Parts: sequence; structure tokens; C-alpha cells
Amino acid sequence: MVAGARRGWVKIMANVSPGADPVERVVELHLPSRLGYEKVAMDAAASVARRMGFSADRVEALRTALAEAVTNAIEHGNAHNADTRVLVILTVRPSELVVSVADQGFKPIDKAKIAPTPNIEDSFSRADKGGWGIWLIRELMDEVEFTTAPTGGNQVRMVIHLEKQP
Amino acid sequence: MHKVSAPLSIELSIPSEFGYERVVREAVASFARRIGFASERVEDLKTAVSEACLNAIEHGNAQMPEMRVDVNCVWENDVLMVRVLDHGLKRYTGHVAPCITSRVHGEAPPRGMGLYLIAQLVDTCGFESSPEGGNVLYMSMHPRRMA
Amino acid sequence: MLDDDLSVHIREREGVAIIDLIGDVTTFAEEKITSAYNEVSRRGARNILLNFRQNDYINSAGIAILIGVVTEVNRRNQRLAVSGLSQHFQKIFRMVGLAQYIDIYQDEDEAIRGLNAAVA
Repeated sequence: MVAGARRGWVKIMANVSPGADPVERVVELHLPSRLGYEKVAMDAAASVARRMGFSADRVEALRTALAEAVTNAIEHGNAHNADTRVLVILTVRPSELVVSVADQGFKPIDKAKIAPTPNIEDSFSRADKGGWGIWLIRELMDEVEFTTAPTGGNQVRMVIHLEKQP
Repeated sequence: MHKVSAPLSIELSIPSEFGYERVVREAVASFARRIGFASERVEDLKTAVSEACLNAIEHGNAQMPEMRVDVNCVWENDVLMVRVLDHGLKRYTGHVAPCITSRVHGEAPPRGMGLYLIAQLVDTCGFESSPEGGNVLYMSMHPRRMA
Repeated sequence: MLDDDLSVHIREREGVAIIDLIGDVTTFAEEKITSAYNEVSRRGARNILLNFRQNDYINSAGIAILIGVVTEVNRRNQRLAVSGLSQHFQKIFRMVGLAQYIDIYQDEDEAIRGLNAAVA
């Protein structure tokens, strides 16, 4: 795939399963492993979410959660390796949007970082004041799951439900 | 600041359904802003990319939503190259529609302005052959309009 | 290549040191924000306002930078306020707990009034 990217062309249709539910619509996005380019995913996902009818604050929540997921993939899973890609798949369903982010798994996700709730008072005395990313994803999304991608990398699967407007 | 050896690129794939061209539009605009395109050029690019996707959805894929439109963008040597690929159910190679004068005078149909617009907005554009037989429309652009 | 989308400027208004943050607050912001904070502190600022403008992106790395500023502000007994945050990022600040340490105002004028009223 990376060789294809160098040539300027990548065949990406193969990733969409032919037996998919006909009411599903899938958008795929491949990004370079470079900080800052998570914005491309954020803007693409926001466009899909707005189109589905999510409210402005839910769209913002999705942008923030996706930023964290893609940033994690770039920094940890792909270890800033310029030859690696981040794959974002947006699956549009009638009542929800599923967003999955996969990296190439140079570093497995640190299980210890998935669970805890960080505390701001603790962080004042720590040199590293980070560690808020995964917590934010969990706070902002309706469902979050950490799995292994079909390609062997880390995958975060996030779901945001479309609540019917009263 | 670190140097990147490989060109920066993104690839997108959308269902062939009207409305999804907006997703491409936002993603490509975001990519272009990121690599430093002037805002006016980003707007030009958004319109060109939308038109290219609409053509692919409507003509190349004959509005069959299970078909895909693939878009890739490569930033290399100060040029952004965008390619839009469809399944080529209908071929449309190289025909750039006449200017608006003939349309307002009723000498050409009012629709089909897409390719004309694209040609006006980007630096170079055209068609490439695809091994799979689809239409491949390429558009290249510099970050700033050349004087 | 545009690696960071933030510009930072320092000014003073009615006894408040204002740090204008124009753009995104992410990993790339650390050096700029930290040096702006150090500069206003060196000039003896007691009341500091982080004035967010054209901001639609703060991530966890940005939050960590702001926690770093709060840590220093607490240590030096300064007062820190923010203005110009979207509703979404005001919510994020509350979620993270930053709102306990930073006064959140809608805009710069409100922040100046608030900070000066607190001093008086």
C-alpha cells in the first residue's frame, strides 16, 4: 500500500465488504502518520455527521474524540513512522455512526492507559501532564472498543448514536 | 521540524451517492489548508473536487450507490495532485464543454458545466487511462495562483 | 509546511496580561504558550488571561500544556482566566477539572471586568 501511495495511486475499494448491510454507507480515509493531519479526519467525519443530522455539540464531541484516536495512532501505534498510514472508516447507519481508527501496530496499545480516569490534582505534581486522550474518547462517545485491526494493528471503534430530535 | 522523505498523501473512498462529495470536499480542503494553501485556492479546489466527484457519481458510476468513487491527493514538489476514479460505466474523456455564452444563447445544454469549471479553477487537469477501465480525472494545483 | 496553526501574542490591558492564542492548541503549541507565560510572569503579571481566538481545536496534548500553566500559576499565586472558548471546549475544561482552577469568561471584556472586580 505504501508503495502505491508513492506512485500516487492506491486501490482502496477492496476493504469494503461486498456483503455489507445495504442500508450502510461506508467512507474510507487513509492518512499520513504525521501530527496535524488528524484534522483531515476530523473535517471528513464532521461532514458525515452533519449530513446524518447530528447536533452541533455532538459533531464537536465527535471531532474531539476522533482527534484523540488518530493522534494516538500516529504517535503510538505507528510511532511517527512516515511510511505508515492511519485508516479511518466511517460507517453510516440509520441510527448511528461507527468510526474506526486503525494503525499499523508498531507498538501495541498500552492496556494500562485504557482504563484509568486521570485526575487533575495528581497531574499538577507529575512531570507528564498528559494521559487525557483515551479518557476523553470514552467520555464523549456512546460506545468505545479497543481491538486489533484485520491488518494486525491497533483499532479503536467508536459509536455515536443518533438521538431523534424531540 | 522534521523532514519527511515520502510525499504526503491521503486517499478517500466514498459511496456513489449524491451528498458524499461533500465529505471529499471537506477532507481535501482540510488537507490543502494543512499543507499551506491560500484560502482562495482552497475554495477553488473545493469546487473543482466537488464537480469531479459529482461527475463520477452521476456518469462514471451511473448513480449506483454500491459503487465507489476513489479520490487520492498527493502533495509533492510544491504541487497538489488530486485524482478522482470511478468505475467507468460511462466514459467521458477529455471533452471540456463550451463556454457559458453558447449556453445562455441556447446553443449548448445548461448542465454539464462541471469539467469547464474544473478547467478554470485548477492549474492543469485531464484524463488518465486506468487499468481497471474507469475514468480517472486528475487535477493539479499550486498553493498559490500563478501570476 | 504549516506544522503549527497557532500564533501567540502578548499585550496588557487594565492591569491584565493578555496572551492571545490564535488558532489550534495542540502538541505544537507547547513552546509558544510556555514562553508567552514565562514572559508575562517575568514582567510581574498577577492576572493572566488566555484569550482564545479562531480556535476550534484543542486536544489532550493542548490540555496537558494548559495544566502545566495552571501548575505554575498556582505555584506563583497568580490568577488565570480564559475567554473566547467555544461551548464545546468550555465543557471539556469542566470535564477535565480545569474549570476549578481557571475562570472561564465568554469574551475578553467580560474577563477584564471579572479579573479586576476580583482584585478590588
